[in-house]
Amino acid sequence: MHDQHWNQLVAVVRGEVVRPLPTGFIIDSPWLPKWAGHKILDYFTDERVFLEDNFKAIDTFPDTILLPGFWSEYGMCTEPSAFGSVSVWEDNDFPFTKKVLRSIADVDALETPNPRKNGLLPFVIKRLQHLQPDIERRGHKIRFAVARGPLNIASFLMGTTEFLTAIKTDPEAMHRLLGIVTDYLVDWIAWQREMFPTIDGILLLDDIVGFISRRDFETFGLPYLRRAFDADVTVKFFHNDAPCKASAPLLADAGINLLNFGIQHTISEMRSWTNGQIALLGNIPPRDVLADGTAADVELAVTQMLEPLEDRSRLVVSCGGGMPPGAPTENIRALISTVQRLTS
Amino acid sequence: MDQLSSLREAILTGDAAAAAGATHVALAAGVTPVDVIADGISPAMAEVGRLFEEGEYFVPELLISARATKEVFSILRPLLATAGAKPAGRVLLATVEGDLHDIGKNLVGAMLEGAGFEVVDLGVDIPAARFVSAVRESRPQIVGLSALLTTTMPAMKTTLEALDAAGLRSEVKVMVGGAPVTQRYADSVGADGYGETATAAVDVARRLIDGRNLEQSGE
Repeated sequence: MHDQHWNQLVAVVRGEVVRPLPTGFIIDSPWLPKWAGHKILDYFTDERVFLEDNFKAIDTFPDTILLPGFWSEYGMCTEPSAFGSVSVWEDNDFPFTKKVLRSIADVDALETPNPRKNGLLPFVIKRLQHLQPDIERRGHKIRFAVARGPLNIASFLMGTTEFLTAIKTDPEAMHRLLGIVTDYLVDWIAWQREMFPTIDGILLLDDIVGFISRRDFETFGLPYLRRAFDADVTVKFFHNDAPCKASAPLLADAGINLLNFGIQHTISEMRSWTNGQIALLGNIPPRDVLADGTAADVELAVTQMLEPLEDRSRLVVSCGGGMPPGAPTENIRALISTVQRLTS
Repeated sequence: MDQLSSLREAILTGDAAAAAGATHVALAAGVTPVDVIADGISPAMAEVGRLFEEGEYFVPELLISARATKEVFSILRPLLATAGAKPAGRVLLATVEGDLHDIGKNLVGAMLEGAGFEVVDLGVDIPAARFVSAVRESRPQIVGLSALLTTTMPAMKTTLEALDAAGLRSEVKVMVGGAPVTQRYADSVGADGYGETATAAVDVARRLIDGRNLEQSGE
């Protein structure tokens, strides 16, 4: 991300009204390689493909903020891999990760991984280091430390059904699990920041937060997110495109100041629930409109989203979630141009 | 039926041990297994569904209620088989190929069982060919396809095409669901039904069974 986009993002987070309203998208492996004409496995394994695809997106959409910017990732496999989780790779499909905890008793044998040495994490860092000169030569900087959130990682390790059941049946064991995961997460974020001093933001992605009640979020979500976000950075960005009415009022307590949320809620609702404290990145329907609709559908959705909004501060127009697989160039351009036309 | 009030309460609070205990007490008191389902499990799970729809219950609450229900069914199943009781319908459930996320499937399965359906759970990451063979083996009225990832949703279409190619499409109704799935997507792949939530899936299943029965009676 270059300085102009970063400064725009920071201005939005600080509550300044930016005209035209900025647009931005989380872009990663479900969308980027196929859109750029490459296979997903090549995107993960070939640094040139990774760099080329990211620059292609930047060059095609120069007026939009692409987040988090050069996200060195291996899909859902990155963080669980350090716990010994088996990663399953397909030639041109999203990779997935197998659970490592067969029973709740296994939690007691779980060791806190070392991000510097375990799993795919050294590969994440090395890929970025190898590409950093090319990235910076083009005027961009690595701005974000990125990771899946604590509940998300825990659910990959145990299985989502098992994890969400166990927070009711074995809460102490789940606190031990989340404690180990969060220790690891804090270390992982710290190492990313250490390796890339240009990092001034943290992005955590955790949809599992959307599945639990406010009380469970207070117990099993908030304390761990607060620790994970507890760093001296300007932008604390959280992605949860599952329903998040229950957790929304507490997200600012975790330090979060930028939120990408789903299509279950409106901008106005989310603004009200977060008490206007958090900048929002959203939220036209990613699949039905941005990926599968026409450019005219996108224009209509953006217009319907923006027109009722009197207060346009703390807003980056995006889709409700990450860029969906198959979203075509013309629809993304339609979103950007419509926002520019309506908010200049 | 007051003999089942503690069972309903145990399911609502997700207390599996209490649900099993209450079931044994009710059976010993002469309540039939069919009545345990009709007056105990079904109303309790319907209430769980209502509380979920109204935002009072969340996924963990659903899961532990489902777990309590499963415990009760493990007691009732042999008795129901002996009595020759008929379920509301048979539903074959699985996540599609490439998708390991079973939470949606499990929730739908629990709600369907709670509503008196027989659920054949094939598990996760099921290739289209396995659906075809399972339909031939189990003869379900409904096939339920679940996907949590946008990247695995296309496997729903592949599965429907495989059922069609095998000549089985007219024999089963297919319902689809999962976080990224929408009615529009369900329509685009030719599914017969779409449930946005686990409780909605029960209504869809009932509707599909009713429609199927009407089709078969020629009305």
